[in-house]
Amino acid sequence: MTRERLLSKKPLHILEKIKENLERLNDKMEVMIELQKHGHKEFQPLPDTPLDVMTLLSMPDHLRKTAMTICRYGRATANEVAQQTSRARAVESAYLNQLVIMGYLKKERIGRKAYFYADRDSSG
Amino acid sequence: MGKIVAVHSYKGGTGKTLLSVNLAASFAKRGKKVCLFDLDFRAPSLFSILKIENAQCWLNDYLNGSCDINKVLIDLGGRLQVNGNFFAALANPSTEAIRDMSGKDRKWEMRALGRLLSLRNTLLKEQKFDYLVLDTSPGLQYSSINSIVTADLVLVATTGDRSDVNGTRRMLGELYNLFEKKTGLVLNKVIDPISKSKRADMYTKVKDTYQVPMLGLVPCFCEILRAEGNFIFVQDKPNHPFTKIVDEIARKIDANEVN
Repeated sequence: MTRERLLSKKPLHILEKIKENLERLNDKMEVMIELQKHGHKEFQPLPDTPLDVMTLLSMPDHLRKTAMTICRYGRATANEVAQQTSRARAVESAYLNQLVIMGYLKKERIGRKAYFYADRDSSG
Repeated sequence: MGKIVAVHSYKGGTGKTLLSVNLAASFAKRGKKVCLFDLDFRAPSLFSILKIENAQCWLNDYLNGSCDINKVLIDLGGRLQVNGNFFAALANPSTEAIRDMSGKDRKWEMRALGRLLSLRNTLLKEQKFDYLVLDTSPGLQYSSINSIVTADLVLVATTGDRSDVNGTRRMLGELYNLFEKKTGLVLNKVIDPISKSKRADMYTKVKDTYQVPMLGLVPCFCEILRAEGNFIFVQDKPNHPFTKIVDEIARKIDANEVN
């Protein structure tokens, strides 16, 4: 059986799943690259840390800009944040994922889009 | 869309509330739809200046998530002679409410920031307010920093006092700049700024000291002290020099002349 015939028989949802997994892998790669760039000590993970103004003040400048945009919008994709900050989508995606690791933001996937938000509603 | 202006200072007693009330009244006089917010939850004062003893809901209730913002807004149109629409949102002055507000945790402050930020949508976008003027508490504390983060423009009231000058300079570098806020300075309680050359010198000196534009220079007026908070100068004393200074600040903000 030729490669083309084999591919045409693959159900669409399997291909979509592969693409989704690659995107997740890409997000993780971006975080790893940023961790290498800035050193680990800036990004100590803290579970569910409130993103309040004192936290914003103590953040490194590059992350504050991203976090401020999420505060203003409540919920946004890396693409929407990039439009506001005038930085590349990949850069914002890396910063947003760092903020998730640090416990300041939550991430939710709906279809192919990843939404980032500060969890204001949970108790504690 | 409208603008959110926060009036802040490093120290207390620099004239924030006097400036906020008169600036809001001046915007209303220009035909704008304005709401004045009392965000000084530790020492509420607008209820007293506006002579309102009771509110259906306080700003505290809105930030607690127990009341809609429209129930907090008090229409001052009937009380003040202004062209536009003038509303106020007041902080609860009861001791119990002050105690409650000073014991809030970081999670609550984060939610409060979210509620303040959402005013941009509910009041500026949907209800077409032109200006929200936030009268904040002095220094670096949650309610004032929340207001600064929410604002488009921060108006800093300062005096010539050495500790105020140093504190204000630090705040400009370590607070407003970090949040990339547009900032303007109002130098208050200036002794003897009568001559034009002296005034021009002061503008240059302030610009050099703070690296931000000065929007107004307010001389020390004994009439303001004598008024004991009983007048809103912009409304009650339309020809007073203080009214003219505030009207000029309002004009500059309205004309987008703050860079």
